Formats: sequence, structure tokens, C-alpha cells
Amino acid sequence: MNVTEVKLKKVLADVFKIEATAVNEGTSVDTVERWDSLTHLNLILALESEFGVSFSEEQSVEIMNYPLIKMVLQEHGVKFQ
Amino acid sequence: MINDDVLNAIARVKAEPTYVAYSALANLAETAREQGYEPYRIAVLRNFTIEPLIPVIKGEAVRLGLAPDVYVADFDAIAESVLNSSSQLYTHKPHLILLAQWVETVSPLLMTKFLSLSKERVEDEVARIVDTMESWLRAIRSNCDAPVLANNFPLPNIVTLGILDYQSESHQLHTVLMLNNALLKMSKNFSDVYWVDTLSLFARLGYATAVDERNWQAARAPISKHALLPLGLEYAKFIRALRGKTCKCLVLDCDNTLWGGVVGEDGLDGIKLGNTHPGSSFVAFQQECLNLYNRGVILALCSKNNEADVFEVFKKHPDSVLKAHHFAAWQINWDDKATNLKRIAEELNIGIDSLVFVDDSAFECDWVRKQLPQVEVVNLSKETYHYRKELMLSGYFDSLTFSNEDKKRSQMYVSDNQRKQLLKTASSFEDYLKGLGLKAEIGRPDKGDVPRVSQLTQKTNQFNVTTRRYTEGDIERFMASDNSEVFFLKLSDRISELGLIGVAIVQYKNGVADVDSLMMSCRALGRGAEETLMSLIYKRAKQRGCKKLVGTYLKSKNNAQVADFYSKQDFKLVEESPEGTKWERTIESQMAKDYPNWIAVKETNV
Repeated sequence: MNVTEVKLKKVLADVFKIEATAVNEGTSVDTVERWDSLTHLNLILALESEFGVSFSEEQSVEIMNYPLIKMVLQEHGVKFQ
Repeated sequence: MINDDVLNAIARVKAEPTYVAYSALANLAETAREQGYEPYRIAVLRNFTIEPLIPVIKGEAVRLGLAPDVYVADFDAIAESVLNSSSQLYTHKPHLILLAQWVETVSPLLMTKFLSLSKERVEDEVARIVDTMESWLRAIRSNCDAPVLANNFPLPNIVTLGILDYQSESHQLHTVLMLNNALLKMSKNFSDVYWVDTLSLFARLGYATAVDERNWQAARAPISKHALLPLGLEYAKFIRALRGKTCKCLVLDCDNTLWGGVVGEDGLDGIKLGNTHPGSSFVAFQQECLNLYNRGVILALCSKNNEADVFEVFKKHPDSVLKAHHFAAWQINWDDKATNLKRIAEELNIGIDSLVFVDDSAFECDWVRKQLPQVEVVNLSKETYHYRKELMLSGYFDSLTFSNEDKKRSQMYVSDNQRKQLLKTASSFEDYLKGLGLKAEIGRPDKGDVPRVSQLTQKTNQFNVTTRRYTEGDIERFMASDNSEVFFLKLSDRISELGLIGVAIVQYKNGVADVDSLMMSCRALGRGAEETLMSLIYKRAKQRGCKKLVGTYLKSKNNAQVADFYSKQDFKLVEESPEGTKWERTIESQMAKDYPNWIAVKETNV
């Protein structure tokens, strides 16, 4: 699947109630106010639903920042243009 | 008045219901409140991680015109919340309490150590769980009246004894079903406790699809990404029903919706409708429409055809389940469908937001969604065998009561069409009313009327002076109290019985009769029924020695037509505020208010 990062940024924006334009490589659990252990679950479920993938146990705990999310999605065959 | 962000987010979930779209909408709950959406407080008691489901429930609430404010109690702290009368559960003042339990947390014994249990021990464990929940419900009811929405338990996917389980006397799967039944039975002792049927939902989805074992182990969050939307929608169906947002009228397209093909081109013999595929899908779909009709849903048609072609199908096609006499209104022409839907709502005298529009055409559905965002739209898929499911699983017509009036309602709207014919031939309106042979029965309801009375408070939006929604428990309390009375009005004429269509609730205090609620089903308006009910209120207040009648009008989105109701009833305006108006009328001892002379009134139980 070929997608633009716009789509990924929109997922984070909708889940955490932030502006999509504010999402960048530095976005992480430490910089987003609403990103906690509970909303992290929502993020996992949202990413899996949106990109049609299933994260392993390890991946689901490791995706705590934007570059890692992108990397893990790429491991699942999601291609970013 | 409605903020574009909120409306756009609602349009987004309607057009593409995804978890992300719901998350975005849920995040606008506060904005919705600022925009005047009705505040709706939900308190969630739970023994599993329900948080991922909350955005769907909140999003659905916003879609229903509410501004949800959700309080989620601590994990597995249900007893602490319900037993402490000053807990946040109660200080939140919830309109709805979710009691969300997961069977693995409720009883690890039954789920994982079943083999070690004797038959008696199993029964004891079931009794313990039932007793626990009973004590919770008792505690909740002694502190607040909010409806409680619990859930039953799905069948587990792993049974300890494997193939032997089902052969055993008290097998594990049976135990879960037994537990569900015992809980349901116990809950009947409490007012306004309802059950989300997780058992059926998970059977429909499949346990392995519905449960995320990874998130269960990692975070005690069992609801999978596949179950979030379906389960959230199940909760929302209850909110819709409890808030009086149940839709009333099913508006159907014809070609490729009620039959395959285009009747104007293929002809009566050419359309696909019958016992063989694909005609069989349309027969099945029509049957569901008829089932809805029998549940009291009004049927209407909105299609681009020649009217004569369409009615030829209903009159002559041997396999058409739906007949001409099932439809209360139709707009069969080439005007745009949004305009036609407005005409249908006007003709039936119901709100545009009580229509559900069903069409196979994505173009028509999209147009209606954009023009009339209040209308619920079902865009049927390309696969005709899905039609039935797509209509029924929406839950737009779901209600928490089913009364005799419901069974007759759709027929009544058809009768209205006949009345309109009568009106055309009468010389004056009063002659017409006299010719109708109206009979009213008014008085205080008995226990059997309570579900219908409650339902009217829940469903009546237009002719409703205060739009206060009451559960059956509330109505029973009004009836039992010395300081309040509930009145009903049943109406019939020579064409049909309209049934119980009017309700009033009056509170008495210090010689003042205060009309708490007064409502009338719209199909009964303009015949003097509302005056009749008012006359009874006047009469009772006088009997009880009251000196003054007080009436309140609270503005809502839909009740502008009763803004001057009290003025028409000779009340004087005493107060005006942004919320509405307050009215008074003195009760003079020598003057009784008469019932209209064209209605034969019978008083019951007064």
C-alpha cells in the first residue's frame, strides 16, 4: 500500500486532538499531552484499523514516537511516498 | 448555530464510519456543548479497560445531537463507586450509567478453573455473582434514577474439558448462559436496567474476531478493532432510544431497492422479485420492511418513477410482500429527493430527523446527506443479499418498549390519508370534525399504560411543551405520589383507533397545579384533543381545591408549534427567559372548562 504521510499524521491528529500539521519526526509520547498508556491503546487500534495491519506484542509497545510508528508500518508493507 | 467542525465530523462518520473518524468526532464533544448540543452525562463502571470504546460511544452521542461528558470510574472499583453515596459516580449526575463487566474478571474461577468445581460450587459461584450485582443495583437505585446499561457475557472460546465439555452435566458454556439468564431475571426487580447483548453480538462477529487477546493480556482491553464500532453502536442504540431519538418513518426508493431492475423499462414481468435469486433478496428485504411496519414504523416512498408503474407492482405483482395499503405517504416524481423528503415529513407532520432514507444509489444518498444532515441515510451496498442486514442492524427504529399502539401506528398514518379525503368533501372544518365521530377516553392511567405513557414522553418531540423525558420508573413515581398526577388521553374516530396519544403530568403544591409535562402525538392534533386534556387538568385542579394553574414552555429544536399553546388556553404570560416561557391562569370556582362539543368524552379513574 502506497500512502502519503498526510494520512498517518491525520490518524495521530484525530486520536490525540492535535493539528495534523503539528505532527512531525519529533512527535512522541513525551511531547503529546493526551498520549498516555490508555490513549496509546486507542492509537494502536486506530492505526491497525486504518492501515489494515496487526502489530505484534512487541511492536505495539514499541511505537511510542512518530519515526517508530512509520518504521513498524513499513515492516508491515506500508509504503510512504 | 451549528458549528461546521462538528457538523463536518458528523458527516464524516456517516459517510465513512471508521474508528479514526469517531475519535475525531468524540474529541469535539466540548465544542458541541458550546454550540448548544444537549448535555449528556455518562458514568462508566467497569472491570475491564473500556477506554478504546469510549470515542465510539461519545461520537455516536454527538451524532444524536448530544454533548457527552463521560466519567470513567477506576478499574474494577464498581463496589466502591456504587456504595459510596458521595462518589464521583453520583456527583457526576449521570443521565446514563454503564455497568460494563467482562466475565474473565467477574469470575476467574468459572473461566479458568472450571474443572476443579463441583456442580454445587458452580451454582454457588453463579449465585455469588448475581447477588453481588443485585447489591450494586440496589445501591445505585437508592442514590439515583439514571437508567443502567449492563452487558451480558459472550461464550468463552476455550473450554477446559474440550469436547467433553458439552457432554457434561453442568458444562462450562451452559454455565455462562445460565449466568446470563440469572442476571437478566434478577435485573427485572429494578426499574430501567437494560442489557447490551454482547453474547449475540460476539456470536455475530465471531469471538476470535471480536476479542483482542493481545490487548487483553497487555492492558485488560479485550475489545478488538473489529468489535469497537459494532459494540459502540449497540450502546448508541440504547442512547438513541432513551433520548427519544428513535426514527419513525422508513422512506424507500423503488427501483433496485424494493425490486431488481427498473419497472418503467423492464415492466411488471421484467423486474426481479420472487423466489429465485436475485429476486429473492428483494423479497427478503421487503419482508423486513413489512416487519418494521408491524413494529409501528411508517412506510413511505421516494422514487424517480411514474407513480402508476410503482403502484402496479404493489397492486398486481404476486411476489410483492409490500402492498399499496402499507404506505402512508409517497413522492414519486423527478424532483430532487431532499425536497421530496421534506414534503413527506410535512405531510406526515413528523420531524425531518425522524426519517430514515434508504436508496441503492450513492449519488442520491450523498445528495440527501449533504442537503439534510438530520436524515439518517442507508446507502444499500452493491450486493443485494446484504440489504436486509444493512436496514436492520442500523438500529434507527429500535425502541425500549413495544406497545399495542406501536402495532397499530403505521396503519393509523395510512388512515390519515383517508381522513384527508373526507376533509375535501366536508363543508366546514367543524362539520368535518363532527363527521369524524371522535371519541376520547381521558383519566389517570393504570399500571398497564405505564410503558406507553413513558414511551410518549420519550418519543414526542413537536407537540410537547417541556420535552421532559421520563422512564417507566419515573412515571410510576408520579402516579404513586400524593403531590402529582398523570393523565392520559385515548382517541378514536370512525376510521380508526388512535390509541393512547396524549399525556399530561401535573404537580400540586400549595394550591397551585403546575403542568410539568403535556404532550400529544402529532397525528392527533387539530381535533380538539389538546383542549380536552387541558380541560381535564383544569377540572382536577379545581377538584383538589387549587386556585391557580401554572404552565411552562421550554424551547427545544422541534417544539416551536407549542410556543403559544398556553396563550390559546387563556393563560397569562408571567415570565420569559431564553429557555422558554411561564404562564398562569386562575381557577374560578363558577367556571368549568368544557370539552369540545364534537368529541364524546368518557372519563376513567378520575
